[in-house]
Amino acid sequence: MILAWPFIIMISLSCSFIAWFLFRPISQSMSGDDSNIAINQQRQDELKLDIKQGLISDDQYQAAESEIISTLATELRIDTKESIAIKPLPWILIIVLICSVFSLGVYSQLAPKMIPSGNSLSEPMSMSDSIERLQIFLEENPDDFQALKMLGLAQIGIGNVEESIEAFEGAYLINSKDIDLLLQFASAIAASQDGQFGGKSKVLIDEALILDPQSIQVLYFSGIVAVHEGNLNGAIEFWEKALYLIPKDHPDRNIIEEALGTVLNLQVK
Amino acid sequence: MLIEVGHFALVLSLIISVLLIVVPSIGLYQNKTSLAQLARPLVWAQGFWIALAFFVLMSAFLSNDFSVKYVADNSNTQLPLLFKASAVWGSHEGSLLLWVFVLSLWTVAVSIFSKRIPSDLINQTLVVLGAISFGFLIFLLFTSNPFERLMMPPLEGRELNPLLQDFGLAVHPPMLYMGYVGLAIPFAFVLSALIRGQLDSTWIRWTRPWALVSWSFLTVGITLGSWWAYYELGWGGWWFWDPVENASFMPWLVATALVHSLSVSEKRGAFKQWTVLLAIGGFSLSLLGTFLVRSGVLTSVHAFATDPTRGLFILIFLFVVIGGSLILYTWRSSLLQQSNPFSLLSRETGLLINNILLVTAMLSVLLGTLYPLILDTLNLGKISVGAPYFNAVFVPIMIPGVIALAIFPYVRWKKDSLSRVFNLLKFEWICVVLLTFLSWVFITDNVFVTVAVGLFIWVVNHVLVLFIKRLRSKAKLSMSFIGMILAHLGIAVFVLGATVTTQLGIEKDIKMNIGETQTIAGHDFVFNGVSPHSKENYSGFIGDITVFKNTKKVAQLSPEKRYYQTGMPMTEASIDPSITRDLYVALGEGLGGGAWSVRIYYKPLVRWIWLGGLMIALGALFAAIDRRYFLRVKS
Repeated sequence: MILAWPFIIMISLSCSFIAWFLFRPISQSMSGDDSNIAINQQRQDELKLDIKQGLISDDQYQAAESEIISTLATELRIDTKESIAIKPLPWILIIVLICSVFSLGVYSQLAPKMIPSGNSLSEPMSMSDSIERLQIFLEENPDDFQALKMLGLAQIGIGNVEESIEAFEGAYLINSKDIDLLLQFASAIAASQDGQFGGKSKVLIDEALILDPQSIQVLYFSGIVAVHEGNLNGAIEFWEKALYLIPKDHPDRNIIEEALGTVLNLQVK
Repeated sequence: MLIEVGHFALVLSLIISVLLIVVPSIGLYQNKTSLAQLARPLVWAQGFWIALAFFVLMSAFLSNDFSVKYVADNSNTQLPLLFKASAVWGSHEGSLLLWVFVLSLWTVAVSIFSKRIPSDLINQTLVVLGAISFGFLIFLLFTSNPFERLMMPPLEGRELNPLLQDFGLAVHPPMLYMGYVGLAIPFAFVLSALIRGQLDSTWIRWTRPWALVSWSFLTVGITLGSWWAYYELGWGGWWFWDPVENASFMPWLVATALVHSLSVSEKRGAFKQWTVLLAIGGFSLSLLGTFLVRSGVLTSVHAFATDPTRGLFILIFLFVVIGGSLILYTWRSSLLQQSNPFSLLSRETGLLINNILLVTAMLSVLLGTLYPLILDTLNLGKISVGAPYFNAVFVPIMIPGVIALAIFPYVRWKKDSLSRVFNLLKFEWICVVLLTFLSWVFITDNVFVTVAVGLFIWVVNHVLVLFIKRLRSKAKLSMSFIGMILAHLGIAVFVLGATVTTQLGIEKDIKMNIGETQTIAGHDFVFNGVSPHSKENYSGFIGDITVFKNTKKVAQLSPEKRYYQTGMPMTEASIDPSITRDLYVALGEGLGGGAWSVRIYYKPLVRWIWLGGLMIALGALFAAIDRRYFLRVKS
């Protein structure tokens, strides 16, 4: 990952660009003395214009002119130092070395150890490959919350419910305030209880509801818990609130509407 | 992979900034021109990679790449395109990237528009800018990485703060940052002059246009912020003396002092010490403001404790910038002693008064902003310093400043006599007193408004007479002069607008039933009811209010109450704007039976506040393109 070809191209481009200007340096614009003379000359011209237009008197002109001359006298440096020529090649080598070694070195420290496969140039991995890579990663980083959460999700994806619960449990110990984790963890426990959202599963969803009572996902799951407890009115209340909050063209809207419709029918019967 | 390319581009620009600091410095001190002249190409290379990183992050927002934590935290698929693009700087990491991006834009601009500046000065300036950029890139990469990935990308991102889902986010922060970061340019010029030990005419000449342009952007940024707060927050206020607002206002006050001080240094070679301190102070305050806001210190002093890495870095960076500059200033102070003399009554004195008042005003705002934070940090209790303190302290300091800005353009440089100025302006003064008296008798008996009208007439009268006199003398009008006229008129317009809207504005918070009418300032507001309303990322209610004046319909207003996905309620005010007054309506809560609580505001001359701000900014731009800055030099 660290030596991916785009990085090598980027380093090469930078070094070539800089090297070009070492071989063909930009010419110097002017010296400080030239600039100070020109600026003070311009001031003198402005003074002449002022006296011509009657804005200042002769005395004022004389005083101002002598001030300009004395200012310039203190500013001139008469720098006769000759510029020293350099051999570009050693400098280019140094720059190439610094650019490549330090940029890759710093990046290797900052870059993520793993990149989500969906956004990488590499081929998508199979679920079991992902689990294997996550397990290797977790051996080195056992306290990585995101990796544990991802492992739990991947395990449940291939039907390993117990392993999934174990991974979620680990993530929960690190961060018990992540709503997404609480919902996934509750779902995994429910899967191990034949789809029943009771016990710890309910506790987790209640925790999520306290953390974010406006979350559509939390409201949806709270509705499911309420249905499992036989509290149909409670479920209707949660889902109606979710429908109020969810935009009209949101893809999840249909799911909630369907669930609400089912419960309303049950109530009628 | 594109995200990794963006991340690597930032790392590469960090390494290039190191080269920018080291290589041209070696060239400058060993007199190796080829190495010194490498400063510009290094700036361009660095600018290119930072721009690439910025646009990669923007593309991640536009393509809903929720594998990037920053995108997942601040955007979702339902967010409209404009807000997705502006969400890039909607939170801490992205706004720091915008800071770095804007700094690179300024640096590239300096490197391009520098043909008339001596090579040594410009190369040294670019080295200083490279050092600033290095500090920010380190901060960005090591504590605030916007390209951080999520191991498990969510299918949907979070809601961008509904307050930020507005056109204002697209324009206000970039403009403000252009101003904030732009102050790095005068700072870099000053520092490079101090490092080189050449505090001559050249650095003063070339510092001023950059200071003017950045001051102009800062003015536009603050003006836009005030306008945004006015229509977005639903309170009808245009300035709240909120610490975040103060954080941008303090550098503006110092930058205002700086552009005036630079004019004295440029024209008379005086105030050099003062100018150097103002340039250092202006940029230090912009850093302080950025970090106070971005570190979260202003919302809670405990933000340092919750994120020690970020807080510690901020303190170290501020210490290095402010401390380093002041050490350099002390080291070179002997070179700053030379100053051309001026008498008590001279234009220099006027500009000195202006500077003292502006800096005093800045210190009063700084005290009011930091005092509660200091008390809280020392566990001495929690206090809140609000508008009553700022109005009581700030306004009296600024009134003499407004009076002085009208008179001193008439006073000659170096030395003048009171009798000459008095004879020149006596008719104007009689005219001002007469007009102010008439306005008190016939227009308003409000003391504050009368004072504001008096100040408005005072400034406008002096400025216009000066303009006419200059036209009559057939002297060629310089852009600098036109800029000054425009900016000073802008101050007058602002003072009148701010005072009249604050003193004569009317506010009513009322319950309205369907068909009910409320009369405010001669306008009848008829409430026609509220209907449900929704868009892709929110749902809510939209009110319908018709406004009549003398039975003639003048406006149809549609205030909204929105509920975003997070459930956060938002008030979207509806405004009927005009140059003389705004009619402003905000919807409160439904009270049952079709009745709603409604806030109605009548805001006379409120648009003058922002018009004044824009005039000041335009004036600064005019001054920055004066022909003096297009000087041709022959070696």
